[in-house]
Amino acid sequence: MLTYEPGTSVAHRLDPRTKLAVQIGFALAAFSHTTPRGLSLLTVLTGVVLAAATLSPFDAVREIRYALPFLFAGPLLSAVVLGSPWIVPTEAIGPTLASYRALLVLLVSVAYVRTTPVRESRAAIQRVVPGRPGRLLGVGVALVFRFLPVLIADLSRARSALRARLGTERRLIDRMRIVTTTGVRRAFGRADRLEMALRARCFAWNPTLPALKLSHWDVPSLVLATGLVCWTFV
Amino acid sequence: MTERSQDRTEHEETNAITSDVELVGDETTTNIVRAASFAALIGALSYVSFPNPVSPTPVTLQVLGIFLAGIFLGPIWGATACALYLVAGTLGAPVFAGGAAGFGVLLGPTGGYLLSMPFAAFAVGAIVHGGFAPSDPRARGLIRLVGAMVVGTVLIYAAGVAGMMATLDLGPTEAFLTGAVALAPAEVLKIAAAVGIVRSDAITAA
Repeated sequence: MLTYEPGTSVAHRLDPRTKLAVQIGFALAAFSHTTPRGLSLLTVLTGVVLAAATLSPFDAVREIRYALPFLFAGPLLSAVVLGSPWIVPTEAIGPTLASYRALLVLLVSVAYVRTTPVRESRAAIQRVVPGRPGRLLGVGVALVFRFLPVLIADLSRARSALRARLGTERRLIDRMRIVTTTGVRRAFGRADRLEMALRARCFAWNPTLPALKLSHWDVPSLVLATGLVCWTFV
Repeated sequence: MTERSQDRTEHEETNAITSDVELVGDETTTNIVRAASFAALIGALSYVSFPNPVSPTPVTLQVLGIFLAGIFLGPIWGATACALYLVAGTLGAPVFAGGAAGFGVLLGPTGGYLLSMPFAAFAVGAIVHGGFAPSDPRARGLIRLVGAMVVGTVLIYAAGVAGMMATLDLGPTEAFLTGAVALAPAEVLKIAAAVGIVRSDAITAA
C-alpha cells in the first residue's frame, strides 16, 4: 500500500505546492515530448526525483505494479495484426513510448506520495483552491483519509464472517451484495456518529492548518517546474 | 444615535466577533461527512476482489460503489463523493486499484475510468431520482434503476477506453480489447448486486 513515510530526504523538506508543480510540469513535458530523446531526459530526471526522495527504483515500481499489465498489454496488442505477417513490431513503437511515458509519470507521483504528509497536502489544496470549494475539498479529503482504514477493516471482517459461514459456496452476486451491504451500512453508521460529534464541537469552515513556507530548497524545484512547463511549448 | 442605528451597530459588532469562526450548516455537515465516508468506501471496495467467472481479470467492486453513491447520495453529493475520492487518491490516499495513489495514476492507463467517475455518479443519481434532489431509491422502478446503472457503465467504459487511447497511444480496437472486453461482462453482476442492495431493507440511512 502506497502511503506517506516520515523521513529527512530533500523531497521531505520541500513545500507540497512545489512538489505538485514539479509533477504537473513533468506530466506536461512527458506528454509533449514522447520521443526517445525526450523520454531519455525525463528518465534521468525521474532518477533524480527518486534519489531526492531516497526511494529505490525497484521499490517505486513495486508500488505501481497494478498498472504494469496495462502498460505491457498496449504495445503487445498493437504489434499483433490479423493476417500475415501476424506481428509487425514497428506498429508497437508509438504505444511502447506511450507506456514508458505513463511509467515515468507514475514513478514521479510515487515519490510525492511517499514524502508528503496528508495535512500538508490538505493545506496546499486549501491554499490553491480558493473559497468554500477549497475548504470543502480540504475537509472532505482529510475525512477520507480517516475513514479509509476503518472501512477497509469493516469489509475485511465482513468477508471473514462470510467465509466462516461457508458463504464462499454462495453465488458471486450474493457475495458481492452481502459484503457491499455491510460496507454501506458501516459507512453510513460511521458518518452519522461523526456528524453528531462534529455538530456538538462546532464544526467550522476555517480550521487551523499547518503554515506552509517556501524554503531555499524549493527554489531549484520551482525553477525546474517552470522549465518543464516552458519545455512543453518548445 | 437613533434606536434603529444603535441596533444595527450592535448587530455588526456581533457579526465581527462571530465571523472569526464560520460554522458549517447542519445539512452541509451531514452531506460532507456522508460524501467523505462514501468516497472512503469506494476506495475500500477497490481492495475487495472476487474471481471473475467469465474472464481472468478479477472483479473489484469500485464501480458498484460509484452506482451506490449516485443512488444513495443523489447526483450532487454522489458526484462530490467521487470527486473527493479522486482528490484524496491524488494527494496520497491509497484508494486506487491495487492500493495505488498519486497524480500520475490520473494520467496513467486507468485515468479515463477514474476521471469519469463523478460524471457517472451524477448521471446515475440524476436518472434514479429524476432530478437533483435525492428521494427514497427503494420507491423507484426497477427499469429506471437498471437503466441508470447501464448509462453509468457506458460512461465509465467510454471514458476508460478513450483514456487508454490517449495515454497508451492505442487505436480504438486495441483500446477496446484491453479496456472493455475483459472487464465489462462483470458489470452485469454488479448491477444485479446493486439492485439487491437498494431493494433490501438493510440500508435505511439514505
